[in-house]
Amino acid sequence: MSQLAQYIAEKRQQKPILSMTHVVYGYPTVKDSLDWMATLLEAGADFIEVQFPFSDPVADGPTIVAACHGALHDQQLSVEQCLKDIGQLGRDFPQARIALMSYLNPMYRYGLEKLVKRCAEENILGLILPDLPYEQAADLRAYCDANGIDPVWLVTPVTPKDRLAFLASEARGFLYCVARSGVTGNSNHNGGPQQSLDEYLAEINEHSNAPIGVGFGIREKAHVDALKGKADVAIIGSALLDAYNKGGKEEGLKLFNSLFN
Amino acid sequence: MQSNNGYYGEFGGSYIPEILYSSQQQILHAFEEAKNDPAFIAELKDTWQNYSGRPTPLTFCKNLTDHFGGAQIYLKREDLNQSGAHKMNNVIGQALLVKRMGKKRVIAETGAGQHGVATALIAARLGLECTIYMGAKDVKRQYPNVFWMKQLGATVVPVAEGAQTLRDALDEALRDWSSSHEDSHYLIGTTCGCAPFPEMVAFFQSVIGEEVKEQSMAQFGQYPDRLYACVGGGSNACGLFLPFLEEKNVEMVGVEAGGKGLELGQHSIRLSNGLGQKGIAQGFATMFLQDDNGQLQETHSIAAGLDYVGVSPIIAHLAQEGRIQMTYAMDDEVVAACALLLKKEGIIPALESSHALAGAFKDAANLPKESRIVINLSGRGDKDIFNVAKAMNDATFPEFLEDYLADYNTDNQGEA
Repeated sequence: MSQLAQYIAEKRQQKPILSMTHVVYGYPTVKDSLDWMATLLEAGADFIEVQFPFSDPVADGPTIVAACHGALHDQQLSVEQCLKDIGQLGRDFPQARIALMSYLNPMYRYGLEKLVKRCAEENILGLILPDLPYEQAADLRAYCDANGIDPVWLVTPVTPKDRLAFLASEARGFLYCVARSGVTGNSNHNGGPQQSLDEYLAEINEHSNAPIGVGFGIREKAHVDALKGKADVAIIGSALLDAYNKGGKEEGLKLFNSLFN
Repeated sequence: MQSNNGYYGEFGGSYIPEILYSSQQQILHAFEEAKNDPAFIAELKDTWQNYSGRPTPLTFCKNLTDHFGGAQIYLKREDLNQSGAHKMNNVIGQALLVKRMGKKRVIAETGAGQHGVATALIAARLGLECTIYMGAKDVKRQYPNVFWMKQLGATVVPVAEGAQTLRDALDEALRDWSSSHEDSHYLIGTTCGCAPFPEMVAFFQSVIGEEVKEQSMAQFGQYPDRLYACVGGGSNACGLFLPFLEEKNVEMVGVEAGGKGLELGQHSIRLSNGLGQKGIAQGFATMFLQDDNGQLQETHSIAAGLDYVGVSPIIAHLAQEGRIQMTYAMDDEVVAACALLLKKEGIIPALESSHALAGAFKDAANLPKESRIVINLSGRGDKDIFNVAKAMNDATFPEFLEDYLADYNTDNQGEA
């Protein structure tokens, strides 16, 4: 069994839903971002989804785009340093897990095989690359299989049924279910009509043996509560960053506690 | 050029967020059906002819030929398309496909504004809602095009993210498409992006080279010896070059923007001098200008339409194979080439196309007198009047602008 899935299953014995909090590495500085991650872990976050910034984050909305550009504005960020830093964070907080999220290009430049090996060494068990579809990921999948790392596939409300069934069945650590159309955060763009979240999650549960994480648009306690019994992990990204931008760690922590504690 | 499952050698592919999977598949299938449907092709040709004015001429340039004393110089006059650039060929094709798919809205990115205007034109004609993303820096550089897009009924969204140029506009268009895919089509303006966009745009642009084949046979009884095209995203180059791919005696030269110099950030040279490196971003694999950490970098060109960080996977592949020779022209060489064409032939070229001119002019004198070269004049230069006036240090232009502004304000106050 996947180490990540096992971790989630064990933790879920005690909690109706786990928290995955998203933090942009290097925003506003490397030190600040690592402090913020540590604060979240002290507050009981089960996962940190660490986003390594990329100049062209096409699946992200304004809040996260601005943070990525801010992080890259006046400093060079290296993937190797990021892995070291978040590996140490994982060792400091052994009760939690770290997943690495980025876009393909910085990871590709670093080297996908090396990346997966280093993730294994640093106990970073999940890898989320939203612009790398399953079909294009044969190499990455092979490296991950060899090193006990889980590539995390995304499904969306408009993923065709047969494809959804396939991706769900291929999920290992957890399956990342995008709750709605669009990019991360509050979107100005209006999506089309969609089936209800409940029906969508029920369909995913039918096909998935792996735990289910739900992200995109989670901002309130009611959103998190609505996932209990239907999903395993609530992923909170832009809302947390909005709060952090507004009032620093204190405001961010207030939101985290209101959602999960 | 047929791709291998979306790939051209090691370039191309489809690297898009999962949310776009269904829409991408829909385009893939719709395009496959449409290009094999005689009714679609007939409508395409009819619209090209009766709306955009195709076929465009192949113009022999006697004065330029005499001036250089080498190869005989011909221009393929894409500047004479409706909208003033080759961009029209592609937007007509994709917009007809949009109607076929039953979608109601188009999204487009634009650099110089040529693709934005072309998209707004066809959207107005076909009754499609239209949103154009344009880097805030480009909005400033190319306001006349923005003005026309707005008058045509399009919504123009200035993108203030990142470097505020074409690359950021493309990111933002992809984000819009991620939430609007059910009723909207992303009408990419160049041979970039995820499959099948490079292949589809190249298909619609290939009318350029197909016409050159016929016209060269009619005018001088054989194919040209060399072809020149500027390479930004690569669509006008694909359009001219691809129909000649199997003609091994026809040489092809792509001219990139050398900008102000070869330091990173000063140019848009991705395919020569080892300046670009392979990467995967914005939906596809190609040669990008990036740093060692894989962050895409800022680019520069006097021509907004060439100011792009990536390049068509088709051109990247053909350059790697050695089928296309790549070179570049610096900003000042481009302005000089533009000036020479004005004086010698009475044609006003776009600054983008002036890169192709500059590349060809460097070679012309050294080529045999009996050889014939065709330069793709991809667009006309009216839009560049402000930038060219500035580059040429025209003394009267600032005065004109000040007077115009004074009059503009007085007249508008009078009406209010």
